[in-house]
Amino acid sequence: MRLFDGQRAWVVQRISALLLLVLLVLAVLALPFASPLDFSAWRAFAGGVLGGPLIALLFGALCAHAWVGLRDIVLDYIQPRGLRLAVLSLIAVVLLGVLVRVLLSLAAAALST
Amino acid sequence: MRLDIYRFDPESGAPPRMQAYEVQPEAGDKKLLDLLMRLRVQDDSLSFRRSCREGVCGSDAMNINGRNGLACLTALDGLKEPVVLRPLPGFPVIRDLIVDMTQFFAHYHSIRPWLINDEPLPERERVQTPAERERLDGLYECILCACCSAFCPSYWWNPDKFIGPSGLLQAYRFIADSRDTATAERLDFLDDVYRLYRCRTIMNCTEVCPKGLSPSHAIERIRLALLRRSS
Repeated sequence: MRLFDGQRAWVVQRISALLLLVLLVLAVLALPFASPLDFSAWRAFAGGVLGGPLIALLFGALCAHAWVGLRDIVLDYIQPRGLRLAVLSLIAVVLLGVLVRVLLSLAAAALST
Repeated sequence: MRLDIYRFDPESGAPPRMQAYEVQPEAGDKKLLDLLMRLRVQDDSLSFRRSCREGVCGSDAMNINGRNGLACLTALDGLKEPVVLRPLPGFPVIRDLIVDMTQFFAHYHSIRPWLINDEPLPERERVQTPAERERLDGLYECILCACCSAFCPSYWWNPDKFIGPSGLLQAYRFIADSRDTATAERLDFLDDVYRLYRCRTIMNCTEVCPKGLSPSHAIERIRLALLRRSS
């Protein structure tokens, strides 16, 4: 697999955009009906059979979408190879960190319910 | 009419500047190129390319009031004054309105702009059905004037690696041709993060094409052809 793939990244960007659209619309529609929206309610939702995978999917799509988008910006604007590699690595570390943090929180929520 | 024209003479060593001109159109002057030809009588140091003067050769492409176009197809009526003329943006300037097209044509050659068919030659020509021929409409008309590529921000950012809207439109012209048997190799060549996928669907190319073609549509068809092939 090439680091700077063409078609795969393009497909990932479009699929993740669709997922984000559907999941965010669902969230906006569902939020007014969730009451009370406090910590214990969120934890129960995140630890649930439906909530956990949905949140994981949302953040997975968000990180994948952000990776392709930011990678494109870096490829366009940052031409020196060393600086480009450094910025791409930083982006990858931050996005992976976000994803790992979310998955750990979901696991903790699932264990506590 | 008042014109502000970009002037650059590499031999003088002076930096580029804008020069103001005043010239009156005469009877029969309909297009911007007519006025430029009249201007050349006033100032024979002014340099620009022109040849067919009817939108077929594509040599008088330039930036006219901030928008790329062909001087020979741009009507004088309705042109905002002063008419600001600059060379095609993003291209190295050789002199005044003349730009270096070497890289642009290198990209064009890279897509192998000729029919590739390794099947035995038929007794007469390779025939197409009317429907197969129709698929080339909107593609074969490209005159390689570079108005689209020189108006594409992705091409400005990566002119050495991104093929650009014109080259990609030409690439699709051969992918879509029923007589061409090298579609797989052509798609393999284009499936690259730079060559094809630097296009961000900005669609300046379609907006500015003086022949009314749609390179962004052709680029989308190449992406879909790649998608179909891998699914």
